[in-house]
Amino acid sequence: MVRRIEARAAAPVCLAAAVLMLGGCALTVPVDAQHTLERARGGTLQVGISANPPWTEIDPGGAVSGSEVELIEDYAESIDAQIEWSPGTESVLAEQMKQDELDIVIAGLTSDAPWTGQMALTRPYAEAADPHGGTQQKVMAVRPGENALLVSLEEHLAREGGEL
Amino acid sequence: MSDQETTDSRSMAISGRGALPRPQQQALRKAIRLEWLTLGCLAVTVSLVGLVAGQSQAMKAAWLEDALSFLPPLAFLVATRQIGKDADREHPYGHHRAIGVAHVVAAAALLGMGTFLVIDSTIGLVRVERPPIGLTVLFGHAIWSGWLMIAVMVLTSIPPVLLGRRKMRLAEQLHDKVLYADADMNKADWSSALATVVGVLGIGLGLWWADSAAAIAVSVSIIHDGVKNMRGAVRGLTDARARTFDDKRPDPLNREVERAAATMPWVAEAVCRVRDQGHVLHVEVFAVPRPGRAVEPADCAQLRDRLQALDWRVHDVVVSPVARIPEGQVFPHDEEEASLGAGRGRPTMTDPDE
Repeated sequence: MVRRIEARAAAPVCLAAAVLMLGGCALTVPVDAQHTLERARGGTLQVGISANPPWTEIDPGGAVSGSEVELIEDYAESIDAQIEWSPGTESVLAEQMKQDELDIVIAGLTSDAPWTGQMALTRPYAEAADPHGGTQQKVMAVRPGENALLVSLEEHLAREGGEL
Repeated sequence: MSDQETTDSRSMAISGRGALPRPQQQALRKAIRLEWLTLGCLAVTVSLVGLVAGQSQAMKAAWLEDALSFLPPLAFLVATRQIGKDADREHPYGHHRAIGVAHVVAAAALLGMGTFLVIDSTIGLVRVERPPIGLTVLFGHAIWSGWLMIAVMVLTSIPPVLLGRRKMRLAEQLHDKVLYADADMNKADWSSALATVVGVLGIGLGLWWADSAAAIAVSVSIIHDGVKNMRGAVRGLTDARARTFDDKRPDPLNREVERAAATMPWVAEAVCRVRDQGHVLHVEVFAVPRPGRAVEPADCAQLRDRLQALDWRVHDVVVSPVARIPEGQVFPHDEEEASLGAGRGRPTMTDPDE
């Protein structure tokens, strides 16, 4: 019995050792799979936006506004990043996210958005009334696997929302 | 209750708890308590894992796996209720086979769990799904959800290991294959919890594939156990030769009943068919009387008592006196059985008196 447990444990334990060795130099957890947060600090944040007033609005001249735009601009400032906006419909943005062309998407998304295959939704940062009399959980989306960026944005949103 | 009475009531009751001697009845009661405890632990685990799972595919898989491990304890509890019933017109062999059915259910749960993990993880790897694990706000503090997941996985993996070890001992004592499969599965819980921890840590270090890779490593051994148990369960239900509680080798009782039958003064030659009815065995004896010896009913009863005295598991014994061993029941020498004990081979099929 003991030998069987050892045999079973061997693979995960070896993996654990490998993982710890590979990540030995990384002090902060989590780390981005593609180092997006690192690249964005002092650089550019690629943000996709789809109009969904009052959270996101795009005027005919291409200027963006809305509550989520303000939140993201504050966030970008906090990590010393410039924003490059990419307007599009949600499905186009989801595909661009999948191709690693975007870092963040804002579109007044809710927690039940159908894009979890293409993008990682943040924890809800606010609640809003939905048209059917219920409540919606408002979320933003981050490129999946970029967990340092995800945690950093979520922390910012939680702070803005007064949770922290 | 004296030993004599116990033997008598056993030979009366074809099924029911009466089929089990006192130590086994105690073990069964302990096992039932342990399985209720297991269900309690599982309920807590499933709710905790569900709470912290979030969007993590890995944690969702762990959750589904925990949900699947409800099946073996449930199957065991249902089966042990069934075997409490006595034989009746509708169930002339009694209800002990319910244990065999529960064994199939437990094996299917193991197989399902392993297969799900392999498929889910492989799809994740092929599609390059990078699992997101974000932030949790706990009492006004921001904490990476990965740490919470790891804490929950470590905490919830301890009780199954302890329960599994105790169940394994009872499974041997009771000769209960479903309890054995469940104890085995508890260990699978433990190793898959470890794999989830490794996977989450890997994700934390930016290695998106760590989670799926760890899951695949563990699920291979879960599938192996599932296949092994499914084979054992089907073998039992299709009346294959009775095997030990862990299905590792033919039950030594197969040979012992034949040897014991051959020692009766009136028996020239005997062949036994032994099948697993659950905890207990059903034994059919084909006995060829010595030439010129008339077989009385008392002879058969004596042979039955002799076999039942061998082991509590020799429970339902049918003796058929025959002029010759039926042709279909004469089998060549069996390597696997002979290897069990040197010099204690199966009685020869050719009678020297003939």
